[in-house]
Amino acid sequence: MTTPSTAAPPAAPTGTLPVRAPASRSRRRRRGRAVANSLALVFCVVWLFPVYWMVNTAFKPRSEVLSATPRFWPSEPTVSNFTTAVTQSGFLQNLLNSVVVVGATLVVAVVLGIFAAAAVSRFRFRGRRAIMVVILAVQMLPATALLIPMFVVFNTTGLLGSYVALVLAYVATVLPFSIWVMRGFFVAIPVEVEEAARIDGASTWQVLVRILFPLVAPGVIATSIFAFIAAWNDYLFAYTFMQDQSRYTLPVWLASFSNPNTGTDFGGQMAASLLFSLPVVIFFLIIQRNLVSGMSAGAVKG
Amino acid sequence: MRAAPRTPDDRATAPESDGSALAETDAGRVPVPPPAAGRGDRAPGPARRRRRDLAPLWLMAPAGVVLVAITLAPIVFLVFTSFTDYDQRTLFTGAYEGVGLAQYAALLQDGDFWASLVRTVLFTAAMVAGSVVIGMAVSHLLTRLDRGVRFLVTVVLILAWAMPNVASSLVWNWLFQPGYGVVNWLLTQLRVFGDMTQTDWTQSPALAYTVIWLLIVWQAVPFIALTLNAAETQVPGEHQEAARLDGAGELRVYREVTLTFLKPTLLLVTILSIIWDYNVFNQIWLVSRGGPDGATSTLGVFTYQTAFVGFEVGQGAAISVVTTLLLLGLTAVYIRNLLRSGEDL
Repeated sequence: MTTPSTAAPPAAPTGTLPVRAPASRSRRRRRGRAVANSLALVFCVVWLFPVYWMVNTAFKPRSEVLSATPRFWPSEPTVSNFTTAVTQSGFLQNLLNSVVVVGATLVVAVVLGIFAAAAVSRFRFRGRRAIMVVILAVQMLPATALLIPMFVVFNTTGLLGSYVALVLAYVATVLPFSIWVMRGFFVAIPVEVEEAARIDGASTWQVLVRILFPLVAPGVIATSIFAFIAAWNDYLFAYTFMQDQSRYTLPVWLASFSNPNTGTDFGGQMAASLLFSLPVVIFFLIIQRNLVSGMSAGAVKG
Repeated sequence: MRAAPRTPDDRATAPESDGSALAETDAGRVPVPPPAAGRGDRAPGPARRRRRDLAPLWLMAPAGVVLVAITLAPIVFLVFTSFTDYDQRTLFTGAYEGVGLAQYAALLQDGDFWASLVRTVLFTAAMVAGSVVIGMAVSHLLTRLDRGVRFLVTVVLILAWAMPNVASSLVWNWLFQPGYGVVNWLLTQLRVFGDMTQTDWTQSPALAYTVIWLLIVWQAVPFIALTLNAAETQVPGEHQEAARLDGAGELRVYREVTLTFLKPTLLLVTILSIIWDYNVFNQIWLVSRGGPDGATSTLGVFTYQTAFVGFEVGQGAAISVVTTLLLLGLTAVYIRNLLRSGEDL
């Protein structure tokens, strides 16, 4: 589509539009490409700047962070900001909280989700479409619609501040899109595979466990990554439910870095932001190709 | 059938090893199908199985029970709470009374609520317009780049997209920090706005909106650009070539040919953006806390402050119900368009 067409057939003049000579067109196109490439580079500089500034600040010693004229490169790169962040009170405990809660959410969502996804993709039954519509609609709810009632219930049952409360909240947000994403992988398996097994006498359970589940393994990985990102990034539920500092998850820990009475340590804050973002960025790059599929069910919000 | 040399196990492993990467891309494109997505070649298999089968019931049951318990039941409870006077006192004593529609009546007379609603609509419109327009431009730009540059742009987009919004909000606060913020410094160097090094962006409504707008648009553009670009690469080249041969300028080719093919995807992306931007909370909360003086308090922030800062939980529930109802209309439009664009539920 963009390759210069050297052997373009002479165009028949249609309507009133003038016809340009092919040679001038291809030259024009080459110039257009150079313009496009330079525009793209400008775009990259602008769009990358916040990330670059985070990394740049994270490696600067304190004196260079707080200088009236910003330095665009740390003259004496240091990892002291990272040590500050990691040794800060609560980091390890809060990291552990995040890992426990996110891990439990993943397991519950994937196990429940894979069976449900099999049901809505490999069978036709009454109410199937209604289920899919509800799953999509739940995904679009404002966060407070779940936050308020859950807060009230957990407050009266004494679960507020517990791992269970947070895991339930995360399963509620993650399970719907897990079903949606895995369903896409089930749908892609040709029915013939399943039918052949049935003719060979396999039961529904055997077809599922021995034929379908191994085939949707990539889908399980993609779903787990989506679920990880959603639960790992959540700030609102953790911030509202976990009021004791020892119960914070990493996003709340990160946001509380900007505590005004200790004086904001921007170097440490940027180092902490970098550490916190790193696993997410790596996972994003891994599932790059699947990102679009998860998005339409709200897996990774823009 | 026994004559067939393969066992079910062979079949299970064979396609996995040779076709998994391909299947992955196929599945990846499913929910936002390009106009010419080839889904028709698949036999409508499950329909063929006519006999009554209880399998979907027991497969669906565990997830179904959990979803009802932790999503639908809370929503019912939310509506219930909005009919009560649940507040700070109730958190300790557990006592509350039904007040009928009083919370809604109070809401309709609350000037802050209306201001917040108008604010949300306008700000959402500004964010969606900004991110969709820039996203379309970047998507189109991506189609005309050399390989290396294209790869570079994609990586940059993914980096911006992947940043958790708590982290990006903190980065933003640092970029726009009075005294040491690099953006303040850069703007001062331009010598157009005077000395901006001490500008506190969150102390002026207009500046606070600008900062939050930039943050949201920065992270929203990658999704829009990459999704649109995936659709744009499916536009048959002959149409564009034909238009060019007829002497149409690049802008006209884009407007009349490319855009026609992009329309379904563009619509879906726009509706999703509206829903997400309408629901934005973290970035506003972490950058401006809804300030100065409530100027950036959109519905999400307003609800949160009512329910969890003032602890008027009943009132907060009422706002949340109204917010949800407004959003439900948009969601319905989204799902209808998803179905129309070829998605089979």
